[in-house]
Amino acid sequence: MSKSHSPRLLRPETLTALGTIVVAAAFLFPTASLKPISALLPGAMLIGMALLSVLLLISDQRKAGSGEEAQSMTSAPKRVFGAFLLIVSYALSTDFIGFYVSTAVAIPLVAYVFGYRSLPGLALATVIVVGAIYLIFDFGMAQTFPSGRLWQS
Amino acid sequence: MYADLLDALPHVLGIYNFVALVIGVIAGIVVGAMPGLSATMAISVLVPFTFGLEPLVALGLMAGIYNGAMYGGAIPAVLLRIPGTPAAVATTFDGYPMAQKGEGGFALQVAVVSSAIGGIASAFALMLLAPPLSKVTLLFGPSEVFWVAVFGLASIIFLLGGNPIKGLISACFGVFVSVVGADPISGADRYTFDQLELLDGVSIVILLVGLYALPPVIDLLEVPLKTDQVTDNKLGTEPIWRTLPRMFRFWKTWIRSSLFGIWIGILPGAGGSMAAFMSYNEARRASQTPDTWGNGEPEGVAASETANNADTASALIPALTLGIPGTAVAAVMLGGLLIHGLQPGPMLFRESPTIVFGFMWQFLFGAILLILLGGSLATNSFAKLLNLPRPLLGSVIIVLMLIGVYSINGRMFDVYLMLGFGAIGYVMDKLKFPLPPVVLGLILGSYAEENLRLALRIGRGDWTILFANTTSLVLVALTVAVIFGPSVKRRFFAKRDDEETAKK
Repeated sequence: MSKSHSPRLLRPETLTALGTIVVAAAFLFPTASLKPISALLPGAMLIGMALLSVLLLISDQRKAGSGEEAQSMTSAPKRVFGAFLLIVSYALSTDFIGFYVSTAVAIPLVAYVFGYRSLPGLALATVIVVGAIYLIFDFGMAQTFPSGRLWQS
Repeated sequence: MYADLLDALPHVLGIYNFVALVIGVIAGIVVGAMPGLSATMAISVLVPFTFGLEPLVALGLMAGIYNGAMYGGAIPAVLLRIPGTPAAVATTFDGYPMAQKGEGGFALQVAVVSSAIGGIASAFALMLLAPPLSKVTLLFGPSEVFWVAVFGLASIIFLLGGNPIKGLISACFGVFVSVVGADPISGADRYTFDQLELLDGVSIVILLVGLYALPPVIDLLEVPLKTDQVTDNKLGTEPIWRTLPRMFRFWKTWIRSSLFGIWIGILPGAGGSMAAFMSYNEARRASQTPDTWGNGEPEGVAASETANNADTASALIPALTLGIPGTAVAAVMLGGLLIHGLQPGPMLFRESPTIVFGFMWQFLFGAILLILLGGSLATNSFAKLLNLPRPLLGSVIIVLMLIGVYSINGRMFDVYLMLGFGAIGYVMDKLKFPLPPVVLGLILGSYAEENLRLALRIGRGDWTILFANTTSLVLVALTVAVIFGPSVKRRFFAKRDDEETAKK
């Protein structure tokens, strides 16, 4: 009994199951206001997800009880969070600052942060990718990209 | 029955379709050669870019990528013992020892020729089997279509292996996402939370890119894979026409492995890696020199590569006729068909024969092109792709994902939604929740709901209408068999093993 209860509840599968139960339960509120025939399938799916998550939770806790190692989510959490953060920041900056500026910064920044340190290579790759996007999408297909909400307002 | 097949041929031979196929095969080989990237991911990223294209051109690109990627996975498998795709694992067994002996080039040539043969056999199977099956499914009414959807979901959950609870949660999630938006019958808003962007529902493309493209990109950035530099002297390549005669002795393996691949492709839930493993084991068992296997036997490469390419087109047999994909890539391809307004299922063959039969021809031509494009010179060039820095590759894919998703409706809301699905997909991927049931749930969910409600209307609310005819009952029986079959089989084998152990 040397293991405390908190790590048992912090196992990734347990947390996922708990999260699914909470989210499914939350979605059941708007389901209640739908017509019965419209609510039939989504209601069944939400209840199904909640019940199955309870089973998953029990199964994972039994595994924890028998001393089985929790399934690992990542070998390098900082790199994973960093990658997500950079991707979300890139989307936000595209939305608020504009596509081309954000892309010209994001390509070398992501590659540099994650280990590709050749400056000529980064510069060349950025010019090729941004240039190709401009030529193919903007020039060739008349596709417009976000120009940045900050400048619009 | 096959007249439509011949009628579609001139359409496929158009210059744009052909160029699309060539680009698709090259792109597929490139993607397949990159460890960590897969055909599923490549097609997911590509699908949004095909919006403005003619359906046949778009499908040609997808068929090319699928064929190319299945071979491309052999390049790092042979040269670095790192399978580019999961289906290329068995190729490493003999491919890598061949490369160590300076026969990497020959191993890749065996791989490309075998991949092409497997692909051609698979395309013929699709052409021969899909049309008659579609005739049968044309007889289905709403209750049968509903059961087909349930059967499809059950197959992919229970035959995929792994934890069925996780499979069921994935499917429930997919079906739930499919009902977001305006109710198709009553028009009531479901889970839109006053967001106009959600009124039309969640686009399959957003889900596909989020689930299948974002997690591999995170993986690319998470683990900076260090690979040996690939050099020409590791390949030892001769022109392919000189090496061909050395391969003719594999003809039995080519036939056997093609049959394995086709059969496994048709089975929902099974995939290229299973086909390659089974085919490799069977070929080794049938070999007169099984001891040489694992030490650089080219026939091992032939067995694995023929089978993993033979499941490409055949996985589309249940996908095109019933809307049930045989593999994850086939599920993504169904998404590609949907965005071009083509609903997979029996009506597809009646409403869009040129496109559906043209797609089959494209699979055949894509497989033939593999030999030309993946021949000796190209193989050298493609092998050098392995030297590309992964972080740079990751950053370029991120940009392509954003462009693709933004281009669908020209709004950032879709990009944020994709990132949300990507985060969910990453967690699901790491915790081994299967992703194909989510895609299939999204494709079949609203389809099943519509047909269920239609059937209930026909039956005036009487639920027994769902069991009123023989076809429905057969489909229910098949669904029950798919759900309980694997556990019954496991128990039977466990009991037999126990009895054998007791006898000993």
